[in-house]
Amino acid sequence: MQIHTFFICAVLIAALSICGCMSAPFESTDDRIWNLTLIGDTEEVLTLQELRSLPSVEGYGYGISTVGIKVGPNTYRGVLISDLIERVGGMGQNDLVYISADDGYLWVFGADQIKGEGFMTLNEDLKEIPSPGLSVICAYERDGEIIDEEWGGPLRVIIISNQENTIVEASSWVKWVDSIEVKRR
Amino acid sequence: MRFLLLCTVFLLLCAGCMDQSEEQVTIRVVSAGSMLVPLEGIEEAYEDQHPGVDIQVEGHGSIQAVRQITDLNRRFDLVLVADQALIPDMMYRERENEEGQYTDSFVPFATNQIVIAYTDKSRYADEINADNWYQILARPDVHIGFSNPMLDACGYRALMVTALAGEYYGDDGLFDRMIGDHINPRATVERYGDDISIVLPELLLPKGDKVSIRSGSIYLLALLDAGGIDYAFEYRSVARDHGLHWIDLPPEIDLSDPDFQDNYKRVQVNLGYQRFESIDNIRVGEQIVYAATIPNNAENPEHAEQFMDFMLKAIQNREYGGPEPL
Repeated sequence: MQIHTFFICAVLIAALSICGCMSAPFESTDDRIWNLTLIGDTEEVLTLQELRSLPSVEGYGYGISTVGIKVGPNTYRGVLISDLIERVGGMGQNDLVYISADDGYLWVFGADQIKGEGFMTLNEDLKEIPSPGLSVICAYERDGEIIDEEWGGPLRVIIISNQENTIVEASSWVKWVDSIEVKRR
Repeated sequence: MRFLLLCTVFLLLCAGCMDQSEEQVTIRVVSAGSMLVPLEGIEEAYEDQHPGVDIQVEGHGSIQAVRQITDLNRRFDLVLVADQALIPDMMYRERENEEGQYTDSFVPFATNQIVIAYTDKSRYADEINADNWYQILARPDVHIGFSNPMLDACGYRALMVTALAGEYYGDDGLFDRMIGDHINPRATVERYGDDISIVLPELLLPKGDKVSIRSGSIYLLALLDAGGIDYAFEYRSVARDHGLHWIDLPPEIDLSDPDFQDNYKRVQVNLGYQRFESIDNIRVGEQIVYAATIPNNAENPEHAEQFMDFMLKAIQNREYGGPEPL
């Protein structure tokens, strides 16, 4: 009887182990239907899948709200907003970029900001620090997984850096991004 | 023996049922940033008196606080804003696919006033007073700060106060010298008869280091403390709760006095763009009045009402700082 029990347990453990081994390593895929409209000199509509096939960058995103609530740090992957703008004619130094969302939220960026300049950056003690290199991206992955709706996915503006502890004010981290428009000035 | 076992099981089940009946109740509060300091004390005191209740407070700018419910469909039991007008403007609207409005009433409970906050390290700290503050702040070597009007009601109120100060002191160029000329592109003041309109560019970026703009009060206070600015436009309660010095401004311009409501209403700020679909980009001056409301879709409206009553009493008795009771 004891041998029988031992045998069953061994089979179960082996089966579980095999299941574990057979599970494919995590691969971030996103079947959601979502379009991103780019408007400049020309207009282009990218599906989520098309956006994910573009060259991407990765970095740390560590945001803070206007009242001091920290969110992160997390690792984000996405496409540089500057690359997306280039697809519809680029932007001049005086132009503005309107990034808007499904819920009616709008944030306006200047040319320097699109290059990652001019943002307030803080350390963990909320002391202002010189800004390290920052990049503004249209993110589709957070910590290797798709960005869920509650977190602002499938597409969210994130300001990333290569320093895990650099905090950036996050009012401009537009959730549910569906349109990026260059306004000529 | 078996009977004893059955009794034990029965008693344990009863105990389980009793535990369930005393389940923790969570009251979710979304609040304007300038209420967060007093709410810390109020929350602790309430939870001490009501062990079964957990108060969870989430802070935002006032518009963003309301928007959590109206635009983002999140459920909160109590909403606290630093501008009472936002409740009828944004919440007296029909909910999508549901009957009724987001809320039907609100309770005005406190007021505040805009002051000039500073520290011992501030340039001309030993010289500034209620009569010369506007001259000191306009000096080229004095650095001043205010919060982003796009993000914080205190920010657009700072601009209103500056424009009203120009009129009050008979100094038409005051706004430009203090703020307008130090924004690129310029923030302009337009006059239509008695009315004053401050028009902001879409992108509010300082030119030079005369003016610093931060997204919220806490960053402005940190900058003031670090000596990055000499003076900041703040709510009086915030300056007091953070142990700063401050200059009280004349009631004709500080947005605190109902007797001067008509004067406040003469000034408006046109924000550079409409950030939210649910509210336009024009803010009109009026007395600062804080208000509370329980949304119609609150999960625990009765508990929320009890907590709100407790909070109103605490504000009335000035127990934990915060804005002045009405």
